[in-house]
Amino acid sequence: MGANPRKPADLLQGTLELLILRTLATGAKHGYEIAEWIHVASAEALSVEEGALYPALHRLELRGLLTSHWDVSANNRRAKYYRLTASGRTRLKDATASWRRTSAAIDRVLEPT
Amino acid sequence: MAEWLNSLRLRVRAFLRRRQLEQDLQDELAFHLAMRAEQLDTSGASDARAGARRQFGNVTRIREDLRESWALAPRLGGLVRDFRYAARTLPRSPGFAVVVVLTLGLGIGANTAFFSVVNAVLIRPLGYAEADRLALLYEGFPQRIDRLPFSALDFDDFRRWQQSFEAVAAYRNVPFEISGDGRPERITGARASADLFRTLGVGPAIGRAFSADEDRPGVNVAILSWGIWQRRYGGDPAMVGGRIQLDRQSYTIVGVMPDGFVFPRRGPQFNGEPADVWVPIAFTDRERAERASMHNNSVIARLRHGVTLDAARAELDLIAERIGANYPPAVRNAGISPELTAAPLREEISGRFQTPLLLLLAAVGLVLLVACANVANLILSRVTGRAREFAVRTALGARRTQIIQLLLCEALLLSAAGGVVGVAIAWWAVNAAPAVLTRTVPGLHELAIDLRVLAFTSVVCLATAVICALVPLATLDRRHPADSLRDEPSRTTSGAGRLHLQRGFVVVTVTLACVLLAGAGLFIRSFAALAATDVGFRPAQVLTASMTLPRTFYTTSASVRAFHESLSRSLSALPGVRSVGLATDLPLTTYELRAFTPESSNLAEGALPATSLSWVHGPYCESLGMTLKGGRFFAQDEYVQNRSVVIVNEKLAALVWPGEDPVGKRLKWGAAGGPWPWLTVVGVIGNVADGPIGAEPRIHAYEPFRQMPDVFLNGAVNQFGRDVTAAVLAEGDARALSALVRQEITELDPELAIESIQLMDDRVREVVAPQRFSTLLVGAFAGIALLLASVGLYGLLAFTMAQRQKEIGVRLALGAERRAVMGMVIGQGARLVAVGLAIGLLGSIALTRLVASLLHQSNPYDLQALAVIPAVLVPAALLACAIPAWRAARVDPITVLRAE
Repeated sequence: MGANPRKPADLLQGTLELLILRTLATGAKHGYEIAEWIHVASAEALSVEEGALYPALHRLELRGLLTSHWDVSANNRRAKYYRLTASGRTRLKDATASWRRTSAAIDRVLEPT
Repeated sequence: MAEWLNSLRLRVRAFLRRRQLEQDLQDELAFHLAMRAEQLDTSGASDARAGARRQFGNVTRIREDLRESWALAPRLGGLVRDFRYAARTLPRSPGFAVVVVLTLGLGIGANTAFFSVVNAVLIRPLGYAEADRLALLYEGFPQRIDRLPFSALDFDDFRRWQQSFEAVAAYRNVPFEISGDGRPERITGARASADLFRTLGVGPAIGRAFSADEDRPGVNVAILSWGIWQRRYGGDPAMVGGRIQLDRQSYTIVGVMPDGFVFPRRGPQFNGEPADVWVPIAFTDRERAERASMHNNSVIARLRHGVTLDAARAELDLIAERIGANYPPAVRNAGISPELTAAPLREEISGRFQTPLLLLLAAVGLVLLVACANVANLILSRVTGRAREFAVRTALGARRTQIIQLLLCEALLLSAAGGVVGVAIAWWAVNAAPAVLTRTVPGLHELAIDLRVLAFTSVVCLATAVICALVPLATLDRRHPADSLRDEPSRTTSGAGRLHLQRGFVVVTVTLACVLLAGAGLFIRSFAALAATDVGFRPAQVLTASMTLPRTFYTTSASVRAFHESLSRSLSALPGVRSVGLATDLPLTTYELRAFTPESSNLAEGALPATSLSWVHGPYCESLGMTLKGGRFFAQDEYVQNRSVVIVNEKLAALVWPGEDPVGKRLKWGAAGGPWPWLTVVGVIGNVADGPIGAEPRIHAYEPFRQMPDVFLNGAVNQFGRDVTAAVLAEGDARALSALVRQEITELDPELAIESIQLMDDRVREVVAPQRFSTLLVGAFAGIALLLASVGLYGLLAFTMAQRQKEIGVRLALGAERRAVMGMVIGQGARLVAVGLAIGLLGSIALTRLVASLLHQSNPYDLQALAVIPAVLVPAALLACAIPAWRAARVDPITVLRAE
């Protein structure tokens, strides 16, 4: 492993959940769409390790932050779509606020003196 | 909380639609891979599907993870799966499974059986409320005798003055003849203070306890044990309030004690026979007549809350002084003053068994360790064979923890099966426990496999599984699976580390077997010494019969003497009888103790201990083959007329008249100024074993029964002097006489219950039964350990030889001699045995020093016992080596090499 400047940054523990919640705030998506959305929205800076995405999705679903349903995808395949629940939305709001606070604090620390 | 509930709801739903869930997981991931492949394809990648998989990671493992996260009870799903897998695969290697299950079964069974003994004797509650506050109290007379039960007057004083105890009670065992409905029967009863049941904190199951005003002479009330109420009266509730005949007198039943209530318990030195009926102790004026005499009331007391035993002991010292001040001047002047001691009840019951039992438990634990080492070795061999399977599993994404879990599941399954076999073995062993033991060791009559024992077994099984599984785990292949798979595990030698470990296990088993053999050697030598101890009499060809004459029927001394006379006359007249002697007690039992004063002795006044005393009628000492060391046995007319004679044992003679001829000297009971007549010593006999065999015999005197004062017997208040034991010396086989003897006694008194008719040989055997049993046990443990160690050695050699077949084939093809090959295999085994033996011998010398202190006449550096170890172990080990060696030498080089 180790730091590799050319590889997209590894996601911090817990941030994957936040990203998933944020992604779904724009509407229901299936797993592949979520991975792509994160990749694109971060201007290709963040890349979700695809293997880790699904366990995270299922965990959120079991915690009641997401619901899922099966539907037909744009290219006519059976796909599992995830959507935020009410508690998922609340959680997103809280987590976003807390992330902002943390990252602002870290920025202040890192600012050159 | 809601989150948790929601998740449970989802999990339950997923569980109910397991198949659908499986399909969904499959589809969801497949969809992702397909989308990614499409995307890669359009961007012109060479193998889009493979690329998609590479980018995704380990699909199988992720699917496993997802399935796991939906499981009803997380983690359990995997466990169930592993158990199923183990249950399916183990029967495919039946040899392995059977050997492991039997090995563990033997180890676990031995431990379960022995723990049930420890449980019965040391752990199980006594059945009294807060039993740790109960203590037994004793009187003692410094320099004469350490411990005696209380006399009636001393108990009265103690009860009146004491403050430390919440309740105190006196009790004493009495034999009763129970008759009336059905066959007369000799049962053990107890006279007890009305306060006994309050002291113990246990009340009757039916009816009531004694009231304080019933504790006086002439009130005939009784309480039955649950056992006799069920057995003799069929549990008839109408018995409470009804009447029974005890010693041919009518008693009213006022209560029945609960099931499982046992009192007195076996173990304490005095009055330790479980009673079937309790009556008030009701001291008579006669019992209260004299101080410093008739010490036969055991005392049990319950400490007040917050009072320690030491605090109570301090109070006892003060009370002892006050009691001593009440003694008559003659006694006080003889320097006789009492002291009072107290000991916790539990310690009195089973204290002396604690160390030997824990020691044996440790020994049986070693047996289990040997079994574990063997099984770990077998699993290790199997793991070696399964290296490929594990490599494949790892390649497919199994984590190390999952492989560990699988191995643990296997080990658990094996040890559980071993546990079932073990409990079956233990159940058999517990039921086969000899009656001699259950009668002599306190608590053992309740020997059973109860929940506590089963809990112990479960813990042992669990520990066994962990030990057996974890050790092989340490050697699991840490290499990259690709490297492991490139090997051909079945053909090459196993890793050097693993082989070292396996050899280590064999050395450990040999070492442990050594230690157990050393222990067994010590026990056997000690027991042999015990069995060879000169008991001072000749038990062979002697039949004994014991009975107690009910005082309410044999009321006068004349009636007792008449019974003696007719019993000895009728038994002597039986065909095949050489001689008959009667006595109040037999060797190896407890005796009446008497203080005495010699007429002329250099001993300081008051420095003499009390002596045991036996009353005999007819040629008792002669029939039991006691040896005359000086003077003569009693003459015939001394049994008929009072000539004031006495016979003493060598020990008494040497103590009182050292260096002098005791014959012709005189002694009297009690103090010099007391009322008893002077008795002339007419003979000296060799010491006869009186307590446990091997213990130093006490000083002992024998007096003709004719000389027992009539006042002891006329209208007596207790059974004193009414115990009769006949020793019948047979011409030939004594056993053949027993029916005749029983018939003669029944003819004399049809209602008299006979306590026992037994060969003297059997009585001697009974006394050493606990030692015999522990010797047998340690021997069995050592035997099992030896067997397991040999099997382990055999297993290892057979296994390595099978792996080295190719190498041996090459050697043979290149011209190696078969004898050399055999030598190589045996040499390999011999080295392991030599190392194990060396460590084992050193360990044994260290460990046996611990054991030796517990054993009769044993020397921890007993070279003969130690020499036995190699003598037993080496042949067994050689046999274990010989079979694989012989097989190795018969390898056909052509077959082996062709298989390449």
